Amino acid sequence: MTELSVVGKSVPRVDALIKVTGKAKYTYDAKVPGMLYAKVLRSPYPHAKIVSIDTSKAEQLPGVVCVATGKDAPEKRTGSATLDQPVLARDVVCAVGDPVAAVAAKSLDIAEEAIELIDVKYEELPAVLDPEDAVSTHPTAIVHPDLFNYEQGPFGHRRFDLDRPNVMMHYSIRQGDVEQGFKEADLVLENKFTTAMVQHCPLELSTTLATPEEDGSFTINASRSLHQPAKSVMRIVFGLEPSKLKFAMDYLGGGFGRGAVFEEPIAVLLAMKTGKPVKHVFTREEVFLRGGNRIPMIVYIKDGVKKDGTLIAREMTAILPSGPSEAFTGLVTRNCAFGAVGTYRLPNFKWDSYGVYINGPTTGGFRGLGSTQVEFAIEQHMDMLAEKLGIDPVKIRRKNILREGEANATGEITHSIGVEECLNKMAEFIKPEEKPEGEGVWRRGKGITVANKYTLAPAAGGGRVKVCADGSIALYHGAEEVGQGTDTVMAQIAAEEFGISVDRVKVQPKDTLNSPYAMGACSSQQTFIVGNGVKLACQDAKRNLFKRAAPRLGVSPDELETKEGEIYVKGMPDKKLRIPELFTGYAPGGYGSYTPDGEIIGNATYVQINTPDNLETGQIDPEAAAKGMRLNTSYAHSAKAVEVAVNTETGQVKVLRIGGADDMGQPINPKMCEQQQEGGIGMALGATLTEEFMLKEGIPLNPNFTDYRMASVNEIPTLDNIKVMSAPAPHKDGPYGAKGFAEGVMIGIDAAIANAVYNAVGVRIKDLPITPEKVLRALKEKN
Amino acid sequence: MKQPIKLKVNGVVEEVLVEPWWSLAYVLREVLNLTGTKVSCDTGNCGACTVLVDGKAVKSCLLLAPKAKGKEIVTIEGLTGEDGGLHPLQEAFIEHFAVQCGFCTSGMILTAKALLDENPGATEEEVRASLSGNLCRCTGYVKIVEAVLAAEEKLN
Repeated sequence: MTELSVVGKSVPRVDALIKVTGKAKYTYDAKVPGMLYAKVLRSPYPHAKIVSIDTSKAEQLPGVVCVATGKDAPEKRTGSATLDQPVLARDVVCAVGDPVAAVAAKSLDIAEEAIELIDVKYEELPAVLDPEDAVSTHPTAIVHPDLFNYEQGPFGHRRFDLDRPNVMMHYSIRQGDVEQGFKEADLVLENKFTTAMVQHCPLELSTTLATPEEDGSFTINASRSLHQPAKSVMRIVFGLEPSKLKFAMDYLGGGFGRGAVFEEPIAVLLAMKTGKPVKHVFTREEVFLRGGNRIPMIVYIKDGVKKDGTLIAREMTAILPSGPSEAFTGLVTRNCAFGAVGTYRLPNFKWDSYGVYINGPTTGGFRGLGSTQVEFAIEQHMDMLAEKLGIDPVKIRRKNILREGEANATGEITHSIGVEECLNKMAEFIKPEEKPEGEGVWRRGKGITVANKYTLAPAAGGGRVKVCADGSIALYHGAEEVGQGTDTVMAQIAAEEFGISVDRVKVQPKDTLNSPYAMGACSSQQTFIVGNGVKLACQDAKRNLFKRAAPRLGVSPDELETKEGEIYVKGMPDKKLRIPELFTGYAPGGYGSYTPDGEIIGNATYVQINTPDNLETGQIDPEAAAKGMRLNTSYAHSAKAVEVAVNTETGQVKVLRIGGADDMGQPINPKMCEQQQEGGIGMALGATLTEEFMLKEGIPLNPNFTDYRMASVNEIPTLDNIKVMSAPAPHKDGPYGAKGFAEGVMIGIDAAIANAVYNAVGVRIKDLPITPEKVLRALKEKN
Repeated sequence: MKQPIKLKVNGVVEEVLVEPWWSLAYVLREVLNLTGTKVSCDTGNCGACTVLVDGKAVKSCLLLAPKAKGKEIVTIEGLTGEDGGLHPLQEAFIEHFAVQCGFCTSGMILTAKALLDENPGATEEEVRASLSGNLCRCTGYVKIVEAVLAAEEKLN
């Protein structure tokens, strides 16, 4: 590979200046003339029949422009794999927070007052709240009695089970014969693990600005990721032609998977009814109720191992509760299985996962897309097996990890797997064999884990570039800047291809009409997919550029190269011309300049296809696999290590040191990779130790930042005690060998902490979060 | 009933009509269009709305606008270095990759500004303590603490 000059370098982020000066525009900041403010009245019950709605008082309040209820909303529902979510509830509400009525008013104060004046009478219904109850053949309640007739949505996965009326997705993998494997095992161990509902807590409150245009089309600004899927949903609900709908992409105040829910239709409905732009900002409580939280998964795991630690059979069952809107839960129900197949060799493997409706808050897409919860179970179980066999936790992992070229439990051939190198780095960092000394009531312990995160397929993303008269590049791409730095990544790729510095690349504003297609920030695929699209687009533009320059230099186009705004003959750097020379009348002070034979542009789309998995067995066709066909785009790998102190009197867990080593393939921008790694640690510390969105009988207890505690700087170890590293295993198809990894950064930290707590005080916490109460209770039970 | 109040915001005297229940954050954002100040939790937990009031870091979502009458307020839009360009904290946030989504950034920078003005020799521990009321979901705080310490070094 030729030496890289911009890719692989930590160039400053292209969005940093506009953000440190407060000038970056988020949808939350939007304000347009004549704009109305929306508010939504929501259900206070987890399950109830709507008996009556009286909006007359609200309608009479001065400044109220429109009040809408279910009868005003489109009959079509929204949704991802299944259209299951009414824009506004009609006869029944299925969760606390379900929207019942919406108001558009001239000020926020008026809209808030109007909502209070709407009188709704409900008749409570039995609610199904426990996922195990919901998944059963005779649940307490059926969330969607007509589910089997519901229309298929535009994306995601669904597969009904006629005996289980709340199941919207069942996924299975069958590899080998697990029963035979358990018979041959020297040790069989089984356990149950559970995780908590975690909110993304993006700092930007979910906001929609829906603007009706003069030509009957709508422009929608929405603080979300996944704009293209959102556009599909909106088209379905309102029956709009694609050309009548444009999503404009502003900066986003944090993503983390929040884009899996579709809450924009209410603002669009109000905009349609009033003919005015309508802005709808969620309160923090509404974000908790409707934000598509991390699925509080129940995971059963049964392992069979030989004395030497070789895994020979693994059986797993996962239950994934979703609120009444499935919001990607079906997709996660399938894809979380890849967390179980991506790291270890499993000769006999049986997997079943069930996505199931309950009368709770929406859950669905969250950084990790299910792998986090599945690997929380696996990575504790690996330690439990190791202890029973008297094997070192590092050795048992090393023994079972997949090798390059080996088939995983779906038949997919492993490629680009840097997990062992990550594990070695973390073992070196934490030194698990050296047991730390405790002091007083504090006991210390260490934990280590490995992790993988798939990047889904199929996926597609494109780029379009325009060579400007001054030799700079205008870059159009549709990858979403959710804070992860994708604009910088794409600018670096374009700069690398043109041999220029990043400041000569201008990333252009994005919307679903003018930008090249990209699926959206989801499953860590933008660097790989859109990065390839941008790279190909640059190569296309260079071909066009060289075609124009070749006659002037008296050579053929393929003899040319470009660098620093000049086009030169390969091997003859003095035979050259400057890009501006290709433009007529290049005179910055005049009427401008142009190229008479059309603009010098390039465009391309990168498509990552996949080969389908068998619906019964989850297996892919071995012949296709042998030819390099895959189920997923790629896998990121990592290892995590922690040292904790546990207070034996209070149960408090303090993380003293923490490290993460990640295989992201070729890092495009190493410092930005560190941003992801450190950020993943911060998010995982909260999700492991304090974060749990709690409900009592379906009623939310802590939908705010006072009672729901994400990690502050206080929960993060000091600078000397937090260490991130990389162990790149370049991917043959990734741009420059890069692959996505920014979800995997938080996977395995929860289990590493649980393993460290066990190492410190001998109690195993199998239920997230690991609170002082749980540790103390376990200590009492142990003694 | 709206009442008129005078504030000095980023060096400019502003007279605004405010409802008694409006927060300073609301007035800055919705009346004066200074949207660099963010509101995220509205309960004083996240610090995204932090501005300087007479040089002190204040969570502007918790301060009723009438209470800010006559005060001197600096928002992120008004922060500059000695030469009128970027403040060393802003430079350090760029150089040390302390910015991701950017939604906490204004509050982080202004909180750090108040700290460094008051305690120019702040240690890592003191920087952490001062930032403990500002939440960030992206960074894990590492590069933010590094940036504040780097800016401090530059300022001294």
